[in-house]
Amino acid sequence: MIAKIVCYALNGLDGVPVEVETDVNKGIPAYEMVGLPDTAVKESKERVRSALKNSGLLFPINKITINFAPADIKKEGASFDLAVAISLLKASEQLVGATTDGCVFLGELALSGDIRPINGILPILISAKSHGFSRFIIPADNAKEARFLSGAEIYPAHTLTEVVRHLMGTLTIAPLETAQYAPHASAGGGADLKFVKGQPVARRALEIAVAGGHNLLMVGPPGTGKTMLARCLPTVMPDLTFAEALEITKIHSVAGILGEEGVVTERPFRTPHHTATTISMCGGGNQHVRPGEISLAHGGVLFLDELPEYKRATLEALRQPLEDGVITVARASGVYTYPARFMLCASMNPCPCGNYGSKDKVCTCTPGEIRAYRRKISGPLLDRIDLQVEVDNVTYDDLTAPGMCESSADVKARVEVVRAVQRNRFAEDGISTNAEMGESEIERYCTLDADGDKILRAAFERMNLSARARGRIIKVARTIADLDASEYILPKHVFEAVSYRLFDKLG
Amino acid sequence: MRYSEAEAAYLWLCACTGLDERSCVSVLREAHDPAALFAGFPVPGTEKRDRRGEAEKFLASLEKKGYFALTLLSDDYPENLKNIPDPPLVLYGAGRRELLKSRKFCIVGSRRAPAGAIAAGKRMAEEISRHLTVVTGLAEGGDSAAIAGALAGGNLICVLPCGLDKCYPAAHASLKERVQKAGLLLSEYLPDDGATKYAFYARNRILAGLSEGVLVLSAGKKSGTLITASRAAEYGRDVFALPYGLGVEQGEGCNELIKKGAFLTTEAEDILSLYGFGGEAHTEMQLTGEEARVLSALKEKGEAHLAELAEALEMRVYEVTAILSALEIKGAAAKVGGNRFAAV
Repeated sequence: MIAKIVCYALNGLDGVPVEVETDVNKGIPAYEMVGLPDTAVKESKERVRSALKNSGLLFPINKITINFAPADIKKEGASFDLAVAISLLKASEQLVGATTDGCVFLGELALSGDIRPINGILPILISAKSHGFSRFIIPADNAKEARFLSGAEIYPAHTLTEVVRHLMGTLTIAPLETAQYAPHASAGGGADLKFVKGQPVARRALEIAVAGGHNLLMVGPPGTGKTMLARCLPTVMPDLTFAEALEITKIHSVAGILGEEGVVTERPFRTPHHTATTISMCGGGNQHVRPGEISLAHGGVLFLDELPEYKRATLEALRQPLEDGVITVARASGVYTYPARFMLCASMNPCPCGNYGSKDKVCTCTPGEIRAYRRKISGPLLDRIDLQVEVDNVTYDDLTAPGMCESSADVKARVEVVRAVQRNRFAEDGISTNAEMGESEIERYCTLDADGDKILRAAFERMNLSARARGRIIKVARTIADLDASEYILPKHVFEAVSYRLFDKLG
Repeated sequence: MRYSEAEAAYLWLCACTGLDERSCVSVLREAHDPAALFAGFPVPGTEKRDRRGEAEKFLASLEKKGYFALTLLSDDYPENLKNIPDPPLVLYGAGRRELLKSRKFCIVGSRRAPAGAIAAGKRMAEEISRHLTVVTGLAEGGDSAAIAGALAGGNLICVLPCGLDKCYPAAHASLKERVQKAGLLLSEYLPDDGATKYAFYARNRILAGLSEGVLVLSAGKKSGTLITASRAAEYGRDVFALPYGLGVEQGEGCNELIKKGAFLTTEAEDILSLYGFGGEAHTEMQLTGEEARVLSALKEKGEAHLAELAEALEMRVYEVTAILSALEIKGAAAKVGGNRFAAV
């Protein structure tokens, strides 16, 4: 008899239905697996055999052929175990009377017959639901993640026996109750702007950056709190909406880094080390294609500490995702697209010794060294960083000053208002923040009066600004005007925006 | 470019024989008329060579690159430079040759010039270059400030420590091109000679020799710009220097010069009036009320952090940021690093 059971494979962030067909024939006992299974899938044979035995079921001693369809995509991982076991049982007529049609089986088997959790459960469920499936049997350990899918019957199972008895109708597994998503005020690992002493300029830049969705570069001597400031970024960003949370959860689920909660409720904050390779940053891999750091930072912050220390190729690879918000990884096994709309926050020293521009310490670098250090970051990349700001040396007085500064919550309240203004403005343009504006939007929403234009012209002549800097300055000026609740961009907004183009001025 | 027979022979001697300067001088002295070189006047190591052919080839190669050569015989060899004890025998030039005849003033500064001095240097070079041709080098820091100012104002000569084909520092290649277009490049070296250590020292004598006066924007205790200043003093030219506060390392040399009698200089007028260009209406900077308030607070403090200013003026930090940015664009203030500003 032939049995067909449906399970799912992952392709990027999408689930692809895979049919497990099992044929049990009389003949010399054999066990064949076809349909491009990888080693982990092939090894399921031993897991399934032991699991069946230890669950009090029979492993048929016949000629068994198992086919994974469609046969042209590579099947990876252990998530097919449960489907293989069920289809074997069905083909060997141990599940007579059970209905398995329209039901998707997901899970890895332990030798004891326990069901182990798998990665990527949420993206699979979402895809399967859109393909018309509505009944799912999943590992109980994945329940927390799965409960955010509404409109489907999801049965969390602990053991193979449970599944079999559920299918035979002798035991009822209670379907999962859909959970309500509640955004978590970002804890940010305890970071809060109120603990940041001094740094008025950097705080302001941070607020503008988050309000307008701009990227941020902090330049300052070592030990001035650049990392601390960066860690505060998620705490002032607007709460995640359900749709955003779901998308981030999908990515984290595929990467296998989802926490206990089962859903991402805080904006991610990723800090890849500067030895990171291009692949780890952008995604890829030979056997298992995984999303990279930029995708894991989707919806949150990608913090690159000591920017010039990163490999040039790795940094250059960020340019395209910074513009498009997605990364497409092509490998022999297929082409995968992962979302990658993140806020880039970078930090660097002003020069190799770190003391350039310092009041008390002497910089020992030659102009050539400083130039070489700064040239490690290419113009096109700098171009995508709208705000470049100097972080001050913190003095002893700052550290011991009594009282708290403004807290993240206060800043966040202002940010939410400005974000709402932008959503209204761009309602018909398909974008949501000032930073995403293209030439046509700039023309439409950022008219400078004659004075503003004159200022920009003067700034260009005085400071040797690059032509590319113009659009960036105007966008930032737009955000500053929004923070000021001003409909028009006034000269003071342009002036302030110009002051955040540190690198253009250094020439 | 036409070269006379004497000039061509002179250039052949200096450029094609590989003799050092001292030997060239003695040959020229013995020959009386350089044209005699083409008539077979003995020059060591060149017995059987086609002198005229070599000279023509060399001159054609200069012509092709758009360079010209200037000898002590040329009409427009700068008079001031001729009067120094060791004027260069040949100067190669590219750009606006007519600038050689103009009145010249040298502005130099060390490479590690503070931001305030760079901003001031730029502004002063711009004003001075409207009346006098600014002479400087091609280095970072002070020299670059003078170039930036003079390019905006008008006339400019850069003297290189290497041949005209080369560029030192290499990163200033595009700057060099701009100078060649808008002004004049000069060098005493053959076009494909690289820069040597000694060349900077020798180049500084040309800077001082060309000019009626030298302004030093910044100089540490042992800065090379001090060589230019001391040459200028030897040649009887005026020396000007920006004043610095106590303990500012990049200005110790400037203060030393002032102690020895250099003119203390804070604006271009201090220099221009000495050369008879003063007295013209100084364009007042247009400042708004708030800008004037911030600027006066900044002047009071000398150098101040944004937050300090904001506190003193009871304004928000970002408001002060915007106003200082405006002052910076108008050239009245300069960022000196770490969010600290100084009035210029």
